[in-house]
Amino acid sequence: MTPVLTLEKIEVRIGNVPLVSSASCSVESGQCLGIAGPNGSGKTTLLRVMATLLKPSSGRGSILGAALETAGFELVRPRIGLSSHQPALSDHLTLRENLEFVARITGHGAREVGEALETVGLAGAADRLAIHCSHGMRKRADLARLFLTRPDLLLLDEPHAGLDSSATPLVTVLVRHTTSKGGGAVIVSHDPTTMVDLADEHMTLRTGILSR
Amino acid sequence: MTKVRIVMALAAIVAAYGLYLAIAAPPEAVQRTYARILHIHAPSAWLAFLAFFVTAFGSIMWRVRRKPVWDRLAASSAEIGVLFTGLALVTGMIWGKPVWGVYFDWADARMASTALMFLVYLGYLALRRATPDPQLRAARASILGIVAVVQVPLVYFSVNLVRTLHQTPTIRPGGSPIHPAMLQALMVNLAAFTLIYIALLMGRMVVGRLEEEAASAFEPVAGAAVVPPRLNGAVDV
Amino acid sequence: MTTHALEIARHDLLVERRAKETLTVVVPFGLAALIALPMAIGIDLPLISRIGPAAYWSTSLLFGMQIAWRNTVADTGPNRDLITLLGVSPVSRFWGRAIASAVLLVAFMFLLGVAAILLFSPQIPLTPWMLLIVLLFATGLAIVATLAADITSGLSGRSPLASVLVVPLALPLLVGAAQAVESLSRGSGILPWLLMLAAVEIVLAVAGTLAAKPLEEAAR
Repeated sequence: MTPVLTLEKIEVRIGNVPLVSSASCSVESGQCLGIAGPNGSGKTTLLRVMATLLKPSSGRGSILGAALETAGFELVRPRIGLSSHQPALSDHLTLRENLEFVARITGHGAREVGEALETVGLAGAADRLAIHCSHGMRKRADLARLFLTRPDLLLLDEPHAGLDSSATPLVTVLVRHTTSKGGGAVIVSHDPTTMVDLADEHMTLRTGILSR
Repeated sequence: MTKVRIVMALAAIVAAYGLYLAIAAPPEAVQRTYARILHIHAPSAWLAFLAFFVTAFGSIMWRVRRKPVWDRLAASSAEIGVLFTGLALVTGMIWGKPVWGVYFDWADARMASTALMFLVYLGYLALRRATPDPQLRAARASILGIVAVVQVPLVYFSVNLVRTLHQTPTIRPGGSPIHPAMLQALMVNLAAFTLIYIALLMGRMVVGRLEEEAASAFEPVAGAAVVPPRLNGAVDV
Repeated sequence: MTTHALEIARHDLLVERRAKETLTVVVPFGLAALIALPMAIGIDLPLISRIGPAAYWSTSLLFGMQIAWRNTVADTGPNRDLITLLGVSPVSRFWGRAIASAVLLVAFMFLLGVAAILLFSPQIPLTPWMLLIVLLFATGLAIVATLAADITSGLSGRSPLASVLVVPLALPLLVGAAQAVESLSRGSGILPWLLMLAAVEIVLAVAGTLAAKPLEEAAR
């Protein structure tokens, strides 16, 4: 089966400063890869390369069958779901309006928005402005977006940060949903213990070098 | 740098000859000695336009080839262009006050376009200075370099239209036939300024290459400087 | 592509309706500028009336472009990533922002126009042509300001830098609009100016459309 994601000797430099100096990995269909690393190791940078949002300075890769070196990755972007440190929400819209915006672009309906908010436990706060929500609520809303869009490649940056103990299982459910239908997932975190039960394979990123 | 010195020496010789011709040429019928500043003003303006077209050319070539040398060409030419544009504006104003009674003649489409060009390319240089990443800097500057060269003729056209629709053509310096001696001096000074531009461009590109080499020297991985915090004298937590 | 652009525009306008940044900040700022000019001139009422249109167009340009710098859905880091990953093309994002900015600019210029008429008492005919001139100016400024915002995206000192880029590039719009109004006042034809405005718009629209993808690629 074609891997969901492959990276081969990826290097990322900003100017002459390397952020990631050597990263090679692959994620098979139905697999979750966990990458742990300390602050400044290049985790977020690597995740952005996987999301096709950052062009590597050298190296090769393919994301959902599209090579990173060509322009074909633009076609696979809608199948990628990324959850960053900061949730992607517009402060002056309600949680529901934020999701409805995503739904209209991706062709989902209002009912599915409601279900996603219900799943993450935000149905009662759906009409609250994002700026009036706590970080944990905003994080849940970000996960609701991923429940709505159901991507084939899930990329999660510190997914448990900000979530309370009742919401933490949401990450597990989301990852299992994705991998069970043949997709792949990558989780990056500074805390490897949060990925012990979740990831099928574990790697470490230290000073820009990815290793097992 | 030897080539630069040769071109600069040639420019100095031609400029000296041009200066001699400018001084030796008969004074202009109406503007007398004031008109001699034309021999600096007109070549400066001409070089400014040339420099910015070279910037646009370098920008287009960078977009096609993605080689740093083209970005270096665009940036170097823009810097020199700003210099010549400033010189054209200042000499134009020095000339304008005693001759037309105003420092800046808004009815002159060329002056208005030159002033606009000065602002646009100051913005271009500011954009380059504000973008630390070389690749991003080249990408964004190349787009501005191409867009800017289209806008300058538009401003010239718009101001010229104002002049055309509002007033009949007035006699302007250069509108009447120019004395052959003055024309000769002008042409020689034009050649001198062109050689100065070429020398400056060559020199600036050499400096630019050295700057790039210095900037691309080995740097450690960004995260290498991050270490575990030291708490209560313990090395590792 | 059109649907995505309209969704971006709709989203931006909804954010603006909630945040009211244009209404509460940019409009008063523009009004303050309009008031400052006659205060500086003194009591020469005929002169104040004469320069009224020029003050209006200059203020519209200098303060209107701030509207394009407002935070929009396509601007901030995580939101920009989200828009990209949802499959919204850079061209759609550009036009979505430009459309929203144009709508806000028209509203801004309308309010500013009312103030200018009251403050300056300019001798200009209030015909439907004025609306067309304002529309052409507003859309042109929205396009060039959005392009400048994209070029300076993510840079420190972004707002003053973008202003430095916009003002000279938007000057043909200023000349065209101001001269069109003056032609209306004199009763002469405004067609050359409308054609010039339209030509500038087309150039800016093509530039913005062609530059959208390279700018997004450069930011990768």
